[in-house]
Amino acid sequence: MAIKRGVSLYSYQQAQFFKQMDWKAMIREVREHLGTDGIEIIDEATIRDYPFPSEQFIYDFREYMARYNMKAVTMDIYMDVHQFRDHVMNIQEVAERLKNDIRLAAKLGFANVRPLCAVPIEAIELALPTAEKYNVRMGKEIHAPMPIKPRKYNEENRGMRRTMDFRMAEQILELADRTGSKHVGLVPDFGIFQHSPSQVAIDYAKRHAKKPEAVDFIRENCTSYTKDEMVRVVNEKYPDSGLTEMTVEQMWLHRSCAEPEDLIDIIPYIVSMHGKFYQMTEIPGKPGQYEDKSIDYENPIRILRENGFDGYIDSEYEGQRSQQDMGYENLPNEIEEVRRHHEMLKRLSGEA
Amino acid sequence: MFDQYLIRKDSLHNVVEDGKVTGFKFAVRIADYRGCFLSLHNGYYINCDGVEYPKDLQRFEINGKPPRTFDEIKTCVWEHWNYDDEGWVYVTKEGGLAPGKHVIGLQQSILAQYGYMPWDEEWVKNPPVPGSGAGSGKTAVICQFELELQND
Repeated sequence: MAIKRGVSLYSYQQAQFFKQMDWKAMIREVREHLGTDGIEIIDEATIRDYPFPSEQFIYDFREYMARYNMKAVTMDIYMDVHQFRDHVMNIQEVAERLKNDIRLAAKLGFANVRPLCAVPIEAIELALPTAEKYNVRMGKEIHAPMPIKPRKYNEENRGMRRTMDFRMAEQILELADRTGSKHVGLVPDFGIFQHSPSQVAIDYAKRHAKKPEAVDFIRENCTSYTKDEMVRVVNEKYPDSGLTEMTVEQMWLHRSCAEPEDLIDIIPYIVSMHGKFYQMTEIPGKPGQYEDKSIDYENPIRILRENGFDGYIDSEYEGQRSQQDMGYENLPNEIEEVRRHHEMLKRLSGEA
Repeated sequence: MFDQYLIRKDSLHNVVEDGKVTGFKFAVRIADYRGCFLSLHNGYYINCDGVEYPKDLQRFEINGKPPRTFDEIKTCVWEHWNYDDEGWVYVTKEGGLAPGKHVIGLQQSILAQYGYMPWDEEWVKNPPVPGSGAGSGKTAVICQFELELQND
């Protein structure tokens, strides 16, 4: 048994936007060029007329997946608490959307759904009987800045997302152990091993800052200040920098929010993983070998291998959005980025 | 995201209703990697040639239905704006735009979220006014477009 490779069709969002690829072309790319079978989707991007797709769409999707011998790994699902606009969804309503998404995932043949990291644990528990009934596993995403195991320094990286519970992984393990259910678990995103801002994000921030040198200042001094201190110092030093608190936080990043070793205890609960990345560049002196300079893949994958993880890592390319303020000639090639990512996944997981 | 591509470059037209030019329109895409429940769409910050056109002067056309005000859009809690689809923004301006080039600053407001946020109750009572960045989804900057008015 070994680590399996897949692709979240999220990776090709720009090609879909410009009508260069539809979901069928994406499936063919994964099968014919990446030589693998794992498919992950964003429900509201791939499913025509979500949440009420036609029977024809569902049949077409299952048929096409079967034709190319693909595996529907995980469907990414959402929680928009303002849908009804006249009130904020309560926990029972959040659970109802989750249950509907589970039923839809089952219809499409998906093994898992991925609720977001901010979905309250109470809603997950309310939906658990539905997940059992339809045999769809719920994997709650561990997304930056969430840690696997909270440590003191995680608090200072809390940033804009103050409403999230940093004990989310522990809560999921507790629920799974208490109920004995195999239908609740975790989807760790490799973004939790991101230790510095990507070059494409740095470049975007500079293009949009009134004082681009403020970005250099943050990078050069990121280890000297806490995040809150940095926000204050930047405001003092560059009062008209034009940088939002969110951007300062992104540029200040200098250590990952999770430790690779923390994966060991959660491996039995991992439903699938998100292979988040921003830009694959050739490793100096190693032609044809690629890396994302801002995310540690080597150590987490080594630990996953040593501890027998045999689930899917689904590529999740996200660098395109930081380049779409430029003309067509500057847009990245998503297909090439994902191919490079799979070169790395194959090599690190020992498949190559 | 899609900063430079949110408005289709060749889509700026004047709107003629009952034989009168009542405003202008342009075609937009969603500033996100996913579609949304239509009710979440909360209008636009629109600045055309230095003049702002607030939400009550805007209508939105999507899903093969006639243009709707954002008060109507707010009630479309089960309708979906698909990621793949283009919508049309209608702006009321008596006489429309003059022929030639126009500069439009745009920020889209979609109240999509990943969970509960501290401002939730406030947004039910007072939804954010597009333009401040609040409720702007995945593209928080005001994007600038230079568009040529198309002949009908």
